[in-house]
Amino acid sequence: MMNNKWEIIHIPDKPPVPPNQQPTADVFASVIEPKLANTIVRRLNQIAPLENLRHVKRVRKNCIDGGKNQISIILCVALKGENWLEGTPDGILELINAYQLSPFIAKVAKYAALSKEEWEEQCKLWPTSYHPPTYNIDGITGFSEDDSQSIFNFMKVAIELTSSNPFNQIVNAAVIVDPSVRQVIASAYDQTCYEHPSVNNTSGTRFSCQPEICTALQSDANRVEMNEQSILNRIDQCPLSYSGVSCLYPWQWKEKHQYAGKNYAWHPLRHAALVAIENAAARDRHLFPGLGNSGLSIQVDHMQSSSIINPAKRQKIPSEVAEDMTLKACTDGFHSEAVRPYLCTGFDIYLVWEPCAMCAMALVHQRIRRIFYAFPNPNAGALGSVYRLQGEKSLNHHYAVFRILLPEEVFGKKFI
Amino acid sequence: MASVNGKDSSATLAFMELAIQQAKLAMESLEVPVGCVIVEDGKVVASGRNRTTETRNATRHAEMEAIDVLLEQLQKLGLSEAEVAEKFSGFDFYVTCEPCIMCAMALSILGIREVYYGCANDKFGGCGSILSIHSSGSEHLSSDDTSKGKGFKCTGGIMASEAISLLRSFYEQGNPNGLHANV
Repeated sequence: MMNNKWEIIHIPDKPPVPPNQQPTADVFASVIEPKLANTIVRRLNQIAPLENLRHVKRVRKNCIDGGKNQISIILCVALKGENWLEGTPDGILELINAYQLSPFIAKVAKYAALSKEEWEEQCKLWPTSYHPPTYNIDGITGFSEDDSQSIFNFMKVAIELTSSNPFNQIVNAAVIVDPSVRQVIASAYDQTCYEHPSVNNTSGTRFSCQPEICTALQSDANRVEMNEQSILNRIDQCPLSYSGVSCLYPWQWKEKHQYAGKNYAWHPLRHAALVAIENAAARDRHLFPGLGNSGLSIQVDHMQSSSIINPAKRQKIPSEVAEDMTLKACTDGFHSEAVRPYLCTGFDIYLVWEPCAMCAMALVHQRIRRIFYAFPNPNAGALGSVYRLQGEKSLNHHYAVFRILLPEEVFGKKFI
Repeated sequence: MASVNGKDSSATLAFMELAIQQAKLAMESLEVPVGCVIVEDGKVVASGRNRTTETRNATRHAEMEAIDVLLEQLQKLGLSEAEVAEKFSGFDFYVTCEPCIMCAMALSILGIREVYYGCANDKFGGCGSILSIHSSGSEHLSSDDTSKGKGFKCTGGIMASEAISLLRSFYEQGNPNGLHANV
């Protein structure tokens, strides 16, 4: 089907499961006399509360032949492979004997429903309760019209960069944005292959001679207003092959010979996101030169397990506090300067393709707040396709991830 | 103390000792003490240490620093991508701490032979602790499928206590500058 509008989709921490394939748990249940329901439920809640199945209703009401209601009740959780009599609380056995119950095994949904669709499927097994999320994390339950427009505009900036490399090849592109002022902080495209900066270049400047930095240092507002048609024209002029997209084919650098003879340099790891981070860091050093080593160390990402570091000591500088302290150090010493963020805290990144594990982890390290990407990366994507870093709980920073569906007119069918 | 067993051969320990020296250099520069050396045919061809604070770039881990030095050297020699790839397939990395997910993927992309590391990285480790990037492509070993990585061997626990004690002394002194030691 033709997609003809822009759309933002949240990519959740856990892989989506079809509503009818949700995990289940086994419970012992029994049909009971309706008039006994209150007494038995009260007793069961004392002797066998459904600790990990709080979303599951204790009682099920079925309509049976003749319009009569049949009441079933969950007695207790059925532990796998366990003999019915063993491990069942004594009180349950007493109940069974007292009311002449005939227990049977029933399946219930193991986890609370996250959507109405999941809840409806769950209730086919056994009724559950469903509480639609009431939190409103910015950008997860919805973007304002204004925010959406801004997000789409920044994605257009990224898309334009995919074909602006000197080799006339489509590559991945990254744009880091400060959403609070809607300003581009840094941008880059893949530089696994790039024009040789300069023969006399020293190693110290190999990352700071790229044109992106100049771009990054200016307000980029004018570029947001670019002509969409220009994208189309560029794309039409390019060979429509995505083998140049580094995150899609991270291992294929070994085979590249197509630029032999040209004056170019190459680096298999200079994926767009890494170069954009490099440029954002260069901008930081340029705008806040006095803070070098006198600022707080960027140390959180090297912290090891609590077995290494005394927990009491570790907790002295959690990342949030470190951020606060960095900000404080910044504002205390440099009143006239804008507040310097800690790495890319609070910033968003726009990527045309879903990043690989190297880039996705780099964005964790650099504390990016939100990632927007347009195309999934089935080969190596680390935000849902192959790995799902946003759901790795052990990491010390978590970003929110969104996919942006592009209208046909932006890229045309060939790109999708 | 490093135990005396196969993986702790004298050569392995000697290279890890050099990686520890790199970590100490990082520490002296008020950086998190993690170091790395790259070895080819029993010789160190590049080394690097963590440089995240100085660069304000949290991706400048020891491995990335060493890789950049080496890639620049190899390109100055005029080697092609294919020739460099061939060389990388014989490189061993010695890192004082298990490579994070980012670095593990970088090593997979480059197609190195083996990683020896000191302590495990329970929060970010990409060589078994959190993800197993090093073994994720190994089922493609038999094929010539270059659309997937081919994995690399990982051996951990080499001079782990030395690596840990460096990290511990770094964090125990709190902020290295002592400005916020009691916050």
